[in-house]
Amino acid sequence: MSDLEYPAGLRYTAEHEWLRTEGDTVRVGITAFAQEALGDVVYVSLPAVGDSVAAGDTCGEVESTKSVSDLYAPVSGEVTAVNPALDATPELVNTDPYGEGWMYELRPADSADVDALLDADAYTAQLS
Amino acid sequence: MTDLRRSPLHDRHVALGAKMADFGGWSMPIEYPGGGVVAEHTAVRERVGLFDVSHLGKARVSGPGAAAFVNACLTNDLRRIGPGQAQYTMCCDESGGVVDDLIQYLRADDDVFLVPNAANTAEVVRRLAAAAPEGVLVEDRHEGYGVLAVQGPRSDEVLRRLGLPTDHDYMSFVETTWDGLPVIVCRTGYTGERGYEIIPAWDVTASVWDALLEAVRAEGGLPAGLGARDTLRTEMGYPLHGNDLSLDITPVMAGAAWAVGWDKDTFWGKDALVAQRVAKDGRLMRGLVVTGRGIPRSHCAVRDASGALVGEVTSGTFSPSRKQGIALALLDRSVTLGDEVVVDVRGRDVAATVTRPPFVEAGVRSS
Repeated sequence: MSDLEYPAGLRYTAEHEWLRTEGDTVRVGITAFAQEALGDVVYVSLPAVGDSVAAGDTCGEVESTKSVSDLYAPVSGEVTAVNPALDATPELVNTDPYGEGWMYELRPADSADVDALLDADAYTAQLS
Repeated sequence: MTDLRRSPLHDRHVALGAKMADFGGWSMPIEYPGGGVVAEHTAVRERVGLFDVSHLGKARVSGPGAAAFVNACLTNDLRRIGPGQAQYTMCCDESGGVVDDLIQYLRADDDVFLVPNAANTAEVVRRLAAAAPEGVLVEDRHEGYGVLAVQGPRSDEVLRRLGLPTDHDYMSFVETTWDGLPVIVCRTGYTGERGYEIIPAWDVTASVWDALLEAVRAEGGLPAGLGARDTLRTEMGYPLHGNDLSLDITPVMAGAAWAVGWDKDTFWGKDALVAQRVAKDGRLMRGLVVTGRGIPRSHCAVRDASGALVGEVTSGTFSPSRKQGIALALLDRSVTLGDEVVVDVRGRDVAATVTRPPFVEAGVRSS
Protein backbone atom coordinates (compact mmCIF):
# COMPACT_ATOMS: atom_id res chain seq x y z
CA MET A 1 0.00 0.00 0.00
CA SER A 2 3.00 2.31 -0.19
CA ASP A 3 2.01 3.74 -3.57
CA LEU A 4 -1.35 5.24 -2.78
CA GLU A 5 -3.49 6.17 -5.76
CA TYR A 6 -6.08 8.89 -6.24
CA PRO A 7 -7.94 8.31 -9.53
CA ALA A 8 -8.39 11.42 -11.65
CA GLY A 9 -12.07 10.93 -12.51
CA LEU A 10 -13.29 11.12 -8.91
CA ARG A 11 -14.27 13.94 -6.54
CA TYR A 12 -12.86 14.06 -3.01
CA THR A 13 -13.55 15.61 0.39
CA ALA A 14 -11.14 16.82 3.04
CA GLU A 15 -12.58 14.02 5.22
CA HIS A 16 -10.95 11.50 2.85
CA GLU A 17 -14.04 10.31 1.01
CA TRP A 18 -14.32 9.87 -2.75
CA LEU A 19 -17.35 10.22 -5.03
CA ARG A 20 -17.93 8.76 -8.49
CA THR A 21 -20.88 10.05 -10.50
CA GLU A 22 -22.91 7.28 -12.13
CA GLY A 23 -25.97 8.72 -13.88
CA ASP A 24 -28.09 10.61 -11.35
CA THR A 25 -26.41 9.02 -8.32
CA VAL A 26 -22.94 9.14 -6.82
CA ARG A 27 -21.05 6.23 -5.31
CA VAL A 28 -19.12 7.04 -2.11
CA GLY A 29 -16.14 5.38 -0.47
CA ILE A 30 -13.02 6.28 1.50
CA THR A 31 -9.68 7.08 -0.09
CA ALA A 32 -6.51 5.03 -0.17
CA PHE A 33 -5.04 7.51 2.33
CA ALA A 34 -7.93 6.92 4.75
CA GLN A 35 -7.81 3.12 4.62
CA GLU A 36 -4.04 3.18 5.03
CA ALA A 37 -4.32 5.44 8.06
CA LEU A 38 -7.06 3.28 9.62
CA GLY A 39 -5.28 -0.03 9.15
CA ASP A 40 -7.19 -3.30 8.80
CA VAL A 41 -10.88 -2.43 8.47
CA VAL A 42 -12.95 -4.95 10.43
CA TYR A 43 -16.41 -3.37 10.60
CA VAL A 44 -18.35 -0.87 8.53
CA SER A 45 -21.63 0.68 9.65
CA LEU A 46 -23.57 2.24 6.79
CA PRO A 47 -26.71 4.40 6.48
CA ALA A 48 -29.99 2.75 5.47
CA VAL A 49 -31.35 2.91 1.94
CA GLY A 50 -33.92 5.71 1.87
CA ASP A 51 -32.18 7.82 4.53
CA SER A 52 -31.96 11.52 3.80
CA VAL A 53 -28.63 13.01 4.72
CA ALA A 54 -27.35 16.58 4.82
CA ALA A 55 -23.81 17.46 3.80
CA GLY A 56 -21.52 16.98 6.80
CA ASP A 57 -23.88 14.64 8.66
CA THR A 58 -22.39 11.61 10.33
CA CYS A 59 -23.89 8.73 8.41
CA GLY A 60 -21.80 5.72 9.38
CA GLU A 61 -18.60 4.40 10.90
CA VAL A 62 -15.51 2.57 9.74
CA GLU A 63 -13.69 0.57 12.39
CA SER A 64 -10.25 -0.95 12.28
CA THR A 65 -8.72 -3.21 14.89
CA LYS A 66 -7.49 -0.16 16.76
CA SER A 67 -9.71 2.79 15.98
CA VAL A 68 -13.02 4.03 14.69
CA SER A 69 -13.75 6.87 12.26
CA ASP A 70 -17.03 8.50 11.33
CA LEU A 71 -18.31 8.64 7.77
CA TYR A 72 -19.58 12.08 6.77
CA ALA A 73 -22.12 12.66 4.02
CA PRO A 74 -20.16 14.57 1.35
CA VAL A 75 -23.27 16.20 -0.12
CA SER A 76 -26.96 16.36 0.76
CA GLY A 77 -29.21 13.74 -0.77
CA GLU A 78 -30.97 10.41 -0.40
CA VAL A 79 -29.23 7.08 0.12
CA THR A 80 -30.12 4.77 -2.77
CA ALA A 81 -27.86 1.76 -2.16
CA VAL A 82 -25.29 0.37 0.28
CA ASN A 83 -22.53 -2.14 -0.43
CA PRO A 84 -23.83 -5.45 0.96
CA ALA A 85 -20.41 -7.11 0.61
CA LEU A 86 -18.88 -5.04 3.41
CA ASP A 87 -20.88 -6.88 6.06
CA ALA A 88 -18.98 -10.12 5.50
CA THR A 89 -15.81 -8.76 3.89
CA PRO A 90 -15.00 -5.31 5.31
CA GLU A 91 -11.36 -5.82 4.29
CA LEU A 92 -12.42 -4.87 0.74
CA VAL A 93 -12.09 -1.28 1.97
CA ASN A 94 -8.34 -1.93 2.33
CA THR A 95 -7.76 -4.08 -0.71
CA ASP A 96 -9.89 -2.18 -3.25
CA PRO A 97 -10.96 1.18 -1.79
CA TYR A 98 -12.19 2.63 -5.11
CA GLY A 99 -13.76 -0.58 -6.42
CA GLU A 100 -15.24 -3.47 -4.43
CA GLY A 101 -14.72 -1.52 -1.23
CA TRP A 102 -17.28 1.20 -2.08
CA MET A 103 -19.67 2.11 0.74
CA TYR A 104 -22.97 3.59 -0.37
CA GLU A 105 -24.73 5.52 -3.15
CA LEU A 106 -26.55 8.82 -2.90
CA ARG A 107 -28.91 10.74 -5.16
CA PRO A 108 -27.61 14.30 -4.61
CA ALA A 109 -30.15 17.02 -3.95
CA ASP A 110 -28.08 19.24 -6.26
CA SER A 111 -25.46 17.74 -8.57
CA ALA A 112 -23.59 21.07 -8.52
CA ASP A 113 -22.61 20.20 -4.92
CA VAL A 114 -20.62 17.25 -6.27
CA ASP A 115 -18.82 19.32 -8.87
CA ALA A 116 -17.83 21.78 -6.15
CA LEU A 117 -15.83 19.15 -4.24
CA LEU A 118 -12.06 18.65 -4.61
CA ASP A 119 -10.54 17.07 -7.70
CA ALA A 120 -7.68 14.59 -7.37
CA ASP A 121 -5.00 17.28 -7.64
CA ALA A 122 -6.61 19.48 -5.01
CA TYR A 123 -7.14 16.49 -2.69
CA THR A 124 -3.57 15.23 -2.95
CA ALA A 125 -2.26 18.78 -2.55
CA GLN A 126 -3.96 19.12 0.83
CA LEU A 127 -2.63 15.73 1.96
CA SER A 128 0.95 16.94 1.88
CA MET B 1 5.83 13.92 20.44
CA THR B 2 9.36 15.30 20.58
CA ASP B 3 10.38 13.79 23.88
CA LEU B 4 9.18 10.22 23.31
CA ARG B 5 11.80 7.66 24.28
CA ARG B 6 13.17 5.38 21.58
CA SER B 7 13.81 1.67 21.47
CA PRO B 8 17.31 0.52 20.46
CA LEU B 9 15.57 -0.69 17.27
CA HIS B 10 13.99 2.65 16.38
CA ASP B 11 16.02 2.99 13.17
CA ARG B 12 15.13 -0.59 12.19
CA HIS B 13 11.40 0.12 12.56
CA VAL B 14 11.63 3.35 10.59
CA ALA B 15 13.60 1.57 7.83
CA LEU B 16 10.87 -1.11 7.66
CA GLY B 17 8.27 1.64 7.28
CA ALA B 18 6.45 0.79 10.53
CA LYS B 19 3.63 2.98 11.78
CA MET B 20 5.00 4.39 15.01
CA ALA B 21 2.94 5.61 17.96
CA ASP B 22 3.28 6.69 21.58
CA PHE B 23 3.12 3.68 23.87
CA GLY B 24 3.70 4.49 27.53
CA GLY B 25 5.92 7.42 26.60
CA TRP B 26 7.87 5.41 24.01
CA SER B 27 7.73 5.67 20.23
CA MET B 28 7.01 2.06 19.25
CA PRO B 29 5.88 0.18 16.11
CA ILE B 30 2.13 -0.43 15.92
CA GLU B 31 2.18 -2.36 12.64
CA TYR B 32 4.44 -2.98 9.66
CA PRO B 33 3.82 -2.57 5.91
CA GLY B 34 3.14 -5.90 4.24
CA GLY B 35 1.54 -7.05 7.47
CA GLY B 36 -1.05 -5.05 9.34
CA VAL B 37 -2.65 -5.99 12.64
CA VAL B 38 -4.70 -8.92 11.34
CA ALA B 39 -1.90 -10.52 9.29
CA GLU B 40 0.61 -10.06 12.11
CA HIS B 41 -1.85 -11.50 14.62
CA THR B 42 -2.52 -14.49 12.38
CA ALA B 43 1.21 -15.05 11.84
CA VAL B 44 1.67 -15.36 15.61
CA ARG B 45 -1.30 -17.73 16.06
CA GLU B 46 -0.36 -19.94 13.11
CA ARG B 47 3.41 -19.53 12.59
CA VAL B 48 5.59 -17.01 14.39
CA GLY B 49 5.99 -13.27 14.95
CA LEU B 50 8.82 -11.08 16.23
CA PHE B 51 8.01 -8.17 18.54
CA ASP B 52 10.21 -5.40 19.83
CA VAL B 53 9.06 -4.85 23.42
CA SER B 54 12.17 -3.00 24.54
CA HIS B 55 9.92 -0.29 25.96
CA LEU B 56 9.14 -2.69 28.83
CA GLY B 57 10.93 -1.72 32.01
CA LYS B 58 13.83 -3.60 33.54
CA ALA B 59 14.91 -3.34 37.13
CA ARG B 60 17.24 -5.30 39.34
CA VAL B 61 16.91 -5.92 43.06
CA SER B 62 20.12 -7.34 44.50
CA GLY B 63 21.96 -7.89 47.74
CA PRO B 64 21.46 -10.20 50.72
CA GLY B 65 17.77 -10.99 51.17
CA ALA B 66 16.75 -9.38 47.86
CA ALA B 67 14.22 -12.12 47.02
CA ALA B 68 12.73 -12.06 50.51
CA PHE B 69 12.42 -8.29 50.29
CA VAL B 70 10.64 -8.42 46.89
CA ASN B 71 8.41 -11.17 48.26
CA ALA B 72 7.35 -8.92 51.13
CA CYS B 73 6.35 -6.17 48.66
CA LEU B 74 4.82 -7.72 45.52
CA THR B 75 1.71 -9.93 45.54
CA ASN B 76 2.74 -13.33 44.19
CA ASP B 77 4.69 -15.81 46.28
CA LEU B 78 8.29 -16.07 45.10
CA ARG B 79 8.74 -19.15 47.30
CA ARG B 80 6.63 -21.05 44.78
CA ILE B 81 9.47 -20.87 42.23
CA GLY B 82 13.19 -21.53 42.24
CA PRO B 83 16.20 -19.88 40.62
CA GLY B 84 15.83 -19.87 36.83
CA GLN B 85 12.07 -19.44 37.01
CA ALA B 86 9.81 -16.45 36.39
CA GLN B 87 6.44 -15.48 37.81
CA TYR B 88 3.66 -13.00 37.06
CA THR B 89 3.09 -10.67 39.99
CA MET B 90 1.65 -7.29 40.92
CA CYS B 91 2.81 -4.23 42.74
CA CYS B 92 -0.17 -3.01 44.75
CA ASP B 93 -0.82 0.14 46.68
CA GLU B 94 -1.84 -0.21 50.34
CA SER B 95 -5.38 0.49 49.08
CA GLY B 96 -5.21 -2.75 47.07
CA GLY B 97 -5.15 -0.94 43.73
CA VAL B 98 -2.57 -2.03 41.20
CA VAL B 99 0.45 0.23 40.65
CA ASP B 100 1.69 -2.19 38.01
CA ASP B 101 1.69 -5.82 36.93
CA LEU B 102 5.07 -7.29 36.14
CA ILE B 103 7.17 -10.41 35.68
CA GLN B 104 9.73 -11.30 38.35
CA TYR B 105 12.71 -13.45 37.34
CA LEU B 106 14.36 -15.21 40.27
CA ARG B 107 18.08 -15.50 39.47
CA ALA B 108 19.19 -16.21 43.05
CA ASP B 109 18.08 -15.41 46.58
CA ASP B 110 20.10 -12.21 46.31
CA ASP B 111 19.21 -11.30 42.72
CA VAL B 112 15.74 -10.64 41.24
CA PHE B 113 15.17 -9.15 37.80
CA LEU B 114 11.88 -7.32 37.23
CA VAL B 115 10.09 -6.43 34.00
CA PRO B 116 7.38 -3.84 34.72
CA ASN B 117 5.33 -1.89 32.17
CA ALA B 118 7.07 1.01 30.43
CA ALA B 119 4.98 3.78 31.94
CA ASN B 120 5.12 2.38 35.49
CA THR B 121 8.75 1.37 35.83
CA ALA B 122 9.92 4.54 37.53
CA GLU B 123 7.12 4.32 40.09
CA VAL B 124 7.73 0.63 40.87
CA VAL B 125 11.42 1.32 41.28
CA ARG B 126 10.69 4.36 43.45
CA ARG B 127 8.42 2.37 45.79
CA LEU B 128 10.84 -0.55 46.06
CA ALA B 129 13.86 1.70 46.60
CA ALA B 130 12.06 3.63 49.32
CA ALA B 131 11.25 0.41 51.18
CA ALA B 132 14.52 -1.46 50.59
CA PRO B 133 16.45 -2.42 53.72
CA GLU B 134 20.11 -1.67 54.19
CA GLY B 135 22.19 -3.74 51.75
CA VAL B 136 19.43 -4.32 49.17
CA LEU B 137 19.98 -2.32 45.99
CA VAL B 138 17.13 -1.39 43.62
CA GLU B 139 18.33 -0.29 40.18
CA ASP B 140 16.32 1.05 37.25
CA ARG B 141 17.91 -0.63 34.21
CA HIS B 142 15.27 0.53 31.70
CA GLU B 143 17.87 1.26 29.03
CA GLY B 144 20.22 -1.51 30.14
CA TYR B 145 18.52 -4.19 28.08
CA GLY B 146 16.35 -4.67 25.01
CA VAL B 147 13.49 -7.20 24.99
CA LEU B 148 12.57 -9.17 21.86
CA ALA B 149 9.59 -11.52 21.87
CA VAL B 150 9.47 -14.49 19.51
CA GLN B 151 5.93 -15.80 19.73
CA GLY B 152 4.04 -18.53 17.92
CA PRO B 153 4.05 -22.29 17.32
CA ARG B 154 7.26 -22.08 15.25
CA SER B 155 9.21 -20.15 17.90
CA ASP B 156 11.46 -23.11 18.67
CA GLU B 157 12.51 -23.42 15.02
CA VAL B 158 13.42 -19.72 15.02
CA LEU B 159 15.55 -20.00 18.15
CA ARG B 160 17.24 -23.17 16.90
CA ARG B 161 18.32 -21.31 13.77
CA LEU B 162 20.33 -19.04 16.09
CA GLY B 163 21.54 -21.90 18.25
CA LEU B 164 19.59 -20.58 21.24
CA PRO B 165 18.20 -22.96 23.89
CA THR B 166 14.56 -24.02 23.49
CA ASP B 167 13.92 -26.94 25.77
CA HIS B 168 13.17 -25.17 29.04
CA ASP B 169 9.81 -25.12 30.81
CA TYR B 170 7.11 -22.47 30.48
CA MET B 171 7.96 -19.48 32.72
CA SER B 172 11.60 -20.46 33.08
CA PHE B 173 14.72 -18.81 31.68
CA VAL B 174 18.26 -19.66 30.64
CA GLU B 175 21.25 -17.32 30.64
CA THR B 176 23.40 -18.01 27.60
CA THR B 177 25.33 -16.28 24.83
CA TRP B 178 24.65 -15.61 21.17
CA ASP B 179 27.57 -14.68 18.94
CA GLY B 180 29.57 -14.05 22.09
CA LEU B 181 26.93 -11.74 23.55
CA PRO B 182 25.18 -12.54 26.84
CA VAL B 183 21.41 -13.02 26.39
CA ILE B 184 18.65 -14.25 28.67
CA VAL B 185 16.16 -16.56 26.94
CA CYS B 186 12.86 -16.65 28.81
CA ARG B 187 9.95 -18.94 27.97
CA THR B 188 7.50 -16.09 28.50
CA GLY B 189 5.34 -13.77 26.45
CA TYR B 190 1.98 -12.05 26.38
CA THR B 191 0.29 -13.52 23.32
CA GLY B 192 -0.99 -16.87 24.60
CA GLU B 193 1.25 -18.75 22.17
CA ARG B 194 4.32 -20.83 22.82
CA GLY B 195 7.24 -18.45 22.66
CA TYR B 196 10.24 -16.76 24.14
CA GLU B 197 11.40 -13.36 25.27
CA ILE B 198 15.07 -12.68 24.61
CA ILE B 199 16.87 -10.08 26.67
CA PRO B 200 20.20 -8.81 25.27
CA ALA B 201 22.14 -5.78 26.40
CA TRP B 202 20.56 -2.57 25.06
CA ASP B 203 23.48 -1.70 22.78
CA VAL B 204 23.55 -5.06 20.96
CA THR B 205 19.78 -5.55 20.67
CA ALA B 206 19.81 -4.55 17.00
CA SER B 207 22.18 -7.35 15.95
CA VAL B 208 20.05 -9.94 17.79
CA TRP B 209 16.92 -8.47 16.14
CA ASP B 210 18.50 -8.73 12.69
CA ALA B 211 19.33 -12.41 13.19
CA LEU B 212 15.92 -13.20 14.69
CA LEU B 213 14.04 -11.36 11.94
CA GLU B 214 15.85 -13.33 9.26
CA ALA B 215 15.01 -16.58 11.06
CA VAL B 216 11.37 -15.52 11.61
CA ARG B 217 10.94 -14.74 7.90
CA ALA B 218 12.57 -18.07 7.00
CA GLU B 219 9.90 -19.77 9.14
CA GLY B 220 7.10 -17.95 7.35
CA GLY B 221 6.63 -15.39 10.10
CA LEU B 222 6.44 -11.59 10.28
CA PRO B 223 7.68 -8.73 12.39
CA ALA B 224 4.67 -7.84 14.54
CA GLY B 225 3.75 -4.53 16.13
CA LEU B 226 2.06 -3.59 19.36
CA GLY B 227 -1.31 -3.49 17.56
CA ALA B 228 -1.20 -7.26 17.13
CA ARG B 229 0.19 -7.70 20.63
CA ASP B 230 -2.95 -5.96 21.91
CA THR B 231 -5.41 -8.12 19.95
CA LEU B 232 -3.46 -11.26 20.93
CA ARG B 233 -3.41 -10.43 24.65
CA THR B 234 -7.07 -9.40 24.62
CA GLU B 235 -8.05 -12.74 23.07
CA MET B 236 -6.27 -14.41 26.01
CA GLY B 237 -7.96 -12.14 28.57
CA TYR B 238 -4.54 -10.93 29.74
CA PRO B 239 -4.91 -7.53 31.43
CA LEU B 240 -3.29 -4.34 30.21
CA HIS B 241 -2.35 -1.97 33.01
CA GLY B 242 -4.11 1.35 32.51
CA ASN B 243 -7.14 -0.44 31.05
CA ASP B 244 -7.89 -3.64 32.97
CA LEU B 245 -5.70 -2.97 36.00
CA SER B 246 -5.24 0.36 37.76
CA LEU B 247 -5.16 1.97 41.16
CA ASP B 248 -8.97 1.61 41.06
CA ILE B 249 -8.98 -2.03 39.93
CA THR B 250 -7.62 -4.57 42.43
CA PRO B 251 -6.32 -8.09 41.69
CA VAL B 252 -9.51 -9.45 43.30
CA MET B 253 -11.68 -7.51 40.86
CA ALA B 254 -9.42 -8.34 37.91
CA GLY B 255 -9.70 -12.09 38.45
CA ALA B 256 -6.00 -12.20 39.32
CA ALA B 257 -6.30 -13.61 42.83
CA TRP B 258 -4.17 -16.52 41.54
CA ALA B 259 -1.24 -14.07 41.33
CA VAL B 260 -1.53 -13.19 45.02
CA GLY B 261 0.33 -15.11 47.73
CA TRP B 262 -2.52 -15.01 50.25
CA ASP B 263 -0.53 -17.14 52.74
CA LYS B 264 2.36 -14.70 52.89
CA ASP B 265 2.90 -12.75 56.11
CA THR B 266 2.89 -9.49 54.25
CA PHE B 267 2.80 -7.78 50.87
CA TRP B 268 1.71 -4.30 49.87
CA GLY B 269 -2.07 -4.01 49.95
CA LYS B 270 -2.63 -7.28 51.80
CA ASP B 271 -5.07 -5.95 54.38
CA ALA B 272 -7.25 -4.20 51.82
CA LEU B 273 -7.22 -7.16 49.44
CA VAL B 274 -8.04 -9.72 52.13
CA ALA B 275 -10.93 -7.54 53.30
CA GLN B 276 -12.27 -7.18 49.76
CA ARG B 277 -11.92 -10.90 49.13
CA VAL B 278 -13.78 -11.80 52.33
CA ALA B 279 -16.51 -9.21 51.75
CA LYS B 280 -16.93 -10.34 48.11
CA ASP B 281 -16.88 -6.68 47.31
CA GLY B 282 -16.36 -4.82 44.05
CA ARG B 283 -17.06 -5.57 40.41
CA LEU B 284 -15.46 -8.56 38.66
CA MET B 285 -13.62 -8.81 35.36
CA ARG B 286 -15.57 -10.83 32.81
CA GLY B 287 -15.33 -11.51 29.13
CA LEU B 288 -17.91 -10.27 26.61
CA VAL B 289 -18.43 -11.89 23.24
CA VAL B 290 -20.47 -9.79 20.85
CA THR B 291 -23.39 -11.74 19.41
CA GLY B 292 -24.51 -9.02 17.02
CA ARG B 293 -22.42 -6.56 15.03
CA GLY B 294 -20.00 -4.06 16.50
CA ILE B 295 -16.86 -3.70 18.54
CA PRO B 296 -16.92 -2.70 22.21
CA ARG B 297 -14.23 -0.22 23.23
CA SER B 298 -12.89 0.75 26.63
CA HIS B 299 -15.28 2.84 28.77
CA CYS B 300 -18.40 1.67 26.88
CA ALA B 301 -21.25 1.21 29.37
CA VAL B 302 -22.70 -2.29 29.86
CA ARG B 303 -26.41 -2.73 30.67
CA ASP B 304 -28.47 -5.76 31.55
CA ALA B 305 -31.63 -6.90 29.77
CA SER B 306 -33.72 -4.47 31.80
CA GLY B 307 -31.52 -1.54 30.84
CA ALA B 308 -29.84 -1.15 34.23
CA LEU B 309 -26.18 -0.14 34.23
CA VAL B 310 -24.12 -3.16 35.35
CA GLY B 311 -20.58 -2.27 34.39
CA GLU B 312 -18.03 -0.89 31.97
CA VAL B 313 -15.76 -2.23 29.24
CA THR B 314 -12.06 -1.97 30.13
CA SER B 315 -10.58 -3.36 26.88
CA GLY B 316 -12.37 -4.18 23.66
CA THR B 317 -11.32 -5.09 20.19
CA PHE B 318 -12.10 -7.10 17.12
CA SER B 319 -10.86 -10.65 17.58
CA PRO B 320 -8.97 -11.61 14.42
CA SER B 321 -9.17 -15.29 15.45
CA ARG B 322 -12.93 -15.33 16.09
CA LYS B 323 -13.81 -12.55 13.66
CA GLN B 324 -16.13 -10.86 16.16
CA GLY B 325 -16.02 -8.20 18.82
CA ILE B 326 -14.67 -9.23 22.23
CA ALA B 327 -14.11 -7.29 25.41
CA LEU B 328 -12.98 -7.41 28.99
CA ALA B 329 -15.43 -5.65 31.27
CA LEU B 330 -15.80 -4.94 34.98
CA LEU B 331 -19.32 -6.08 35.85
CA ASP B 332 -21.47 -6.11 38.98
CA ARG B 333 -21.39 -9.40 40.87
CA SER B 334 -25.10 -9.83 40.10
CA VAL B 335 -24.16 -10.55 36.47
CA THR B 336 -23.31 -14.20 35.88
CA LEU B 337 -21.61 -16.18 33.16
CA GLY B 338 -23.93 -16.77 30.22
CA ASP B 339 -26.00 -13.63 30.83
CA GLU B 340 -27.00 -11.56 27.82
CA VAL B 341 -26.02 -7.91 28.15
CA VAL B 342 -26.01 -4.83 25.94
CA VAL B 343 -22.93 -2.69 25.33
CA ASP B 344 -23.49 0.97 24.54
CA VAL B 345 -21.12 1.48 21.62
CA ARG B 346 -21.27 5.22 20.93
CA GLY B 347 -25.03 5.25 21.36
CA ARG B 348 -25.71 2.00 19.52
CA ASP B 349 -26.81 -1.10 21.43
CA VAL B 350 -24.56 -4.09 20.75
CA ALA B 351 -25.67 -7.43 22.22
CA ALA B 352 -23.06 -9.58 23.97
CA THR B 353 -22.80 -12.71 26.09
CA VAL B 354 -20.92 -12.75 29.41
CA THR B 355 -18.11 -15.34 29.36
CA ARG B 356 -14.96 -16.36 31.16
CA PRO B 357 -11.78 -15.50 29.21
CA PRO B 358 -9.72 -16.64 27.37
CA PHE B 359 -11.56 -16.14 24.12
CA VAL B 360 -9.26 -18.57 22.30
CA GLU B 361 -7.41 -21.58 23.64
CA ALA B 362 -3.94 -20.87 25.03
CA GLY B 363 -0.98 -22.50 23.34
CA VAL B 364 1.71 -21.40 25.81
CA ARG B 365 2.41 -24.85 27.22
CA SER B 366 2.05 -26.77 23.95
CA SER B 367 5.06 -28.39 22.38
